[in-house]
Amino acid sequence: MDSSTEKNSAGGTCEFQQNLEILRQTQFFAGLPMETLKVFAYLCTRESFAAQDCLYDKDDDDGQAFYILSGQLVLVHDTDGGEAVIRDFGPGDFIGGLALLAPMRRLFALKAGQATDCLVLSREKFAKAIGQFPELIPRVFKSMADSIRDWDQQRLFEATEKGLSLKDMVGISAI
Amino acid sequence: MAKPPPSIVKRSIYSWIMGPNTKLQLVVLVLIAVTVFARVLPLEMQKRIVNEAIRLRQVDLLIRYCTIYLVSVLVASGLKYLITILQVMISQRTLTRMRKDLFAHIISLPLGFFRNTQPGLVVSSLVSELTLPSNFVGMAVAVPVINLLTLVAFAGYLFYLNAWLAALSLSIYPAVVFLVPLLQRRANQANKERVDVTRDLSDRVQETISGIHEVHGNAAYAIENAKIGRIADQLYRIRLRWDFFRASIKVSNNFFISLGPFLIFILGGYLTIQGRLELGALVAFLSAQEKLYDPWKELIEFFQAYQDGSVTYEKTMRYFDSEPEFALAPSDRAPYQLEGNVDVKNLSFITGDGIRLLDRISFDLKAGQHVALVGFSGSGKSTLALCVGQLYDYTDGQVLLGNAEVRELTKKDMAWNMGFVSQTPFIFDGTIQENLLYSCRAADDNTPAAAEQFRPSLEDMIEVLHQTGIFVDTLRFGLNAMLDADRDSTLVEQLVKVRRNFRRQFGETLSGFVEFFDEDRYLYHSSVAANLLFGTSKRRDFKTAKLAENPYFIAFLEKADLKRPLMELGADLARQTVDILGNLPPDKVFYEQSPIAPEELDDFKLLAQQTRRRKLHQLTSDERHKLLGLALRFIPGRHKMVSFPDLLERLILEGRFLFKNQIIEDYPGAFAFYDEGEYIFSQTIQNNIFFGKPKTTSAKAQDHIVQNIIQLLIEEDLLETIVGIGMQFQVGSKGDKLSGGQRQKLAIARVFLKSPRLLIMDEATSALDNNSQARIQNFLDRRLKGKTTVIAVVHRLDIIKDYDKVAVMKAGKLIEMGTYEELMDRKGALHGLIHGKK
Repeated sequence: MDSSTEKNSAGGTCEFQQNLEILRQTQFFAGLPMETLKVFAYLCTRESFAAQDCLYDKDDDDGQAFYILSGQLVLVHDTDGGEAVIRDFGPGDFIGGLALLAPMRRLFALKAGQATDCLVLSREKFAKAIGQFPELIPRVFKSMADSIRDWDQQRLFEATEKGLSLKDMVGISAI
Repeated sequence: MAKPPPSIVKRSIYSWIMGPNTKLQLVVLVLIAVTVFARVLPLEMQKRIVNEAIRLRQVDLLIRYCTIYLVSVLVASGLKYLITILQVMISQRTLTRMRKDLFAHIISLPLGFFRNTQPGLVVSSLVSELTLPSNFVGMAVAVPVINLLTLVAFAGYLFYLNAWLAALSLSIYPAVVFLVPLLQRRANQANKERVDVTRDLSDRVQETISGIHEVHGNAAYAIENAKIGRIADQLYRIRLRWDFFRASIKVSNNFFISLGPFLIFILGGYLTIQGRLELGALVAFLSAQEKLYDPWKELIEFFQAYQDGSVTYEKTMRYFDSEPEFALAPSDRAPYQLEGNVDVKNLSFITGDGIRLLDRISFDLKAGQHVALVGFSGSGKSTLALCVGQLYDYTDGQVLLGNAEVRELTKKDMAWNMGFVSQTPFIFDGTIQENLLYSCRAADDNTPAAAEQFRPSLEDMIEVLHQTGIFVDTLRFGLNAMLDADRDSTLVEQLVKVRRNFRRQFGETLSGFVEFFDEDRYLYHSSVAANLLFGTSKRRDFKTAKLAENPYFIAFLEKADLKRPLMELGADLARQTVDILGNLPPDKVFYEQSPIAPEELDDFKLLAQQTRRRKLHQLTSDERHKLLGLALRFIPGRHKMVSFPDLLERLILEGRFLFKNQIIEDYPGAFAFYDEGEYIFSQTIQNNIFFGKPKTTSAKAQDHIVQNIIQLLIEEDLLETIVGIGMQFQVGSKGDKLSGGQRQKLAIARVFLKSPRLLIMDEATSALDNNSQARIQNFLDRRLKGKTTVIAVVHRLDIIKDYDKVAVMKAGKLIEMGTYEELMDRKGALHGLIHGKK
């Protein structure tokens, strides 16, 4: 646990600076001013997971977002035939932004596909911090709306490319 | 039966003046009579001193009159002091009584009342508003009586000396006391305008500066200058007017005070020359004239206090002038012990605005049956549960609990028979145990019946902790507690034994989670100070908080080449932390990972500034100590805002050995160094078991660790002891040291502990994770069915299968009721809900 980061520095840069650099390049946080980003970078913690560790389970309301530093996380759906991997995430991916905004029970489980290091931010911390900058809340909503739209657009593009039927498959951004 | 006293909100402010204060007020009156006499007597003495003693050159008379004068003044002052004390006593007694009564009244008001009432308003009513009325009550007898009597006595005496001069003397002060408040009112008015316009000015300036891009872009300097200029001019005029009135007040006060002697001298002097007034009487007039000012002033102030007090009192009492919906406790019988059957007949609930939240609902439950209320938000399921639980008073129909009409029952009857867990349960400041006992203590009215039902044993408490799944949390609180060296000696021995077993069984598997205390390695999850000392001392000057001021320790740091690098680290920490936390409120979330405590932040802000401007050696020694102190607290595993240089790490590790050798030589026995065979009292129980510190704060990892420890504690028969310690954990204001899930579990536990016959759960498990929810549901199904009637408002439909009945609500109506299977087979509303159709 925390083995790579407990010393709190690598190559002379402290963990806080590294976190700040990461958040600056994450779409969810991009657009927030430096003063606010510093608070988020400070509040993030680092956690390490062993392969097969469960980060959250179906129906949990864990309220966490993860940025993958190294390793791999998989989103898993329980089916009658066992577990089906729906999606996997690798270094540089940020997941769980929606869970920061409001309580939400997870539809799927998130597990570590291999030993994984993450930056973790909880909803409690996020809410407390964003509460200090209420004027920025619309920007956070906008960035969430943007990612839903981007996602829908991507699906639309892929489906059109492959000549698949669009019916009931896209349009989530119209909710 | 005696008539109950009127509710506080119906009482007039005057009723407080006498009532319980009657005796004190009578004492005040007696004191006043003597005081007034003692005030007039010196006037007569002055007259006699001049007329008799001085004129006739009689020293013995001079001494006699002066003595009487002195005694009178002493008596008058002493009594005035007593009267003031009594006045304050009456006022404070009244305030305390008003506060208690009003608070008791407010918390008994219906829940609906609080929907439109902010907690802040209740706070200000109880804390600040009541001081004005109680001040008035304190003054109500003493001030008018003493001042009126003084005025009358002075006037009488002066008229007795000379009617003309008396009339003139008395006429000045009314002019002052009426004119000055008049001017004051105008000054206040001007001041109010000044504040408004000043605010306007700042808003405008702020707007212009915020929009400076636009001003520059348009070269709109003239427009903005004109805007600000206009307000500045307006402010100038108001300011002048305000100052004019303020100056007028001061001048007229002084003028009238100086005018008094002038009038006495001109008329009194003339009369004395004419031989119509004795010289002594003139002196008495001069002196009396001065003393007339105070009674007038105090009367005016009293009038003001009366107005403020009575208006505030009226306003406050009128605001809270509602009646409780239910009697709080039965007056002539013991609370009922009811059966658990529930009968709801044609129940309707219509709000004050005429909205029908429940519409003619009927159903019945046998004692011990469980029903799940489901439906969309706003369908009325919570309202129904609250009506059955007597938290709302229904407007129509009947709710029978054990065949008794709920509306007719007192709150105490309900507390004896019903347990209620709300969706957002409230946890109060205090320990886990105090919160656990909250419902029981509230129901316990010191009768044998109550004692039997509502005084659970430690075993009972631990059992409900298990049932609600908060046992492990409580255990963890216990494990994070520190022990007292004097009190817990046997426990300590057992814990050291647990430590050995822990190392043997889990040392390997948990090494990823725990940083073991190892003399040869740097501890990233301990402070710099702990890394250096690697032990604890009973000596005060070696406590961590004092280390940075301890000359011995500082000399050691110097010798170990650590002082300067540590100060650098401190300066870096201060600058970074202040930069991040500078404008954030003192919330636990923000300060958890900070080496600076909220109350120190301002200090360190200044210090951080200093370190930017000056070199370290230019700082004062106090500033350097502060930086050193900060560096000594630095925990690399927690404080991530600065990097921790390798060189410094090595120096500290070397310093550890250096320090140990030095201290053993200089102060043998002063330190207990970490030793696997010894308990460390400066560390938590858990850290003692580990002989190390956890590396992570993640809940999942901690659960994992605790699960491993539990077995060891059971082997040593320590589990209950540690849970007992955990139950003494202070949960913080509103339980803010607990997670949402822990608060909900604790709220369920406190109701389970009461074993009510009717249990109402309003989405009581909504904040719980799957396992906790399943555990509680399991307990309801297995242990409470047939014993306790349960009405559960349920949002998550995956837990309703085992309920005896499911009731589906829609728009205030009960549209379906039956067993889960029946309703699913019917493919009606429940089927729709479960398959996501609206």
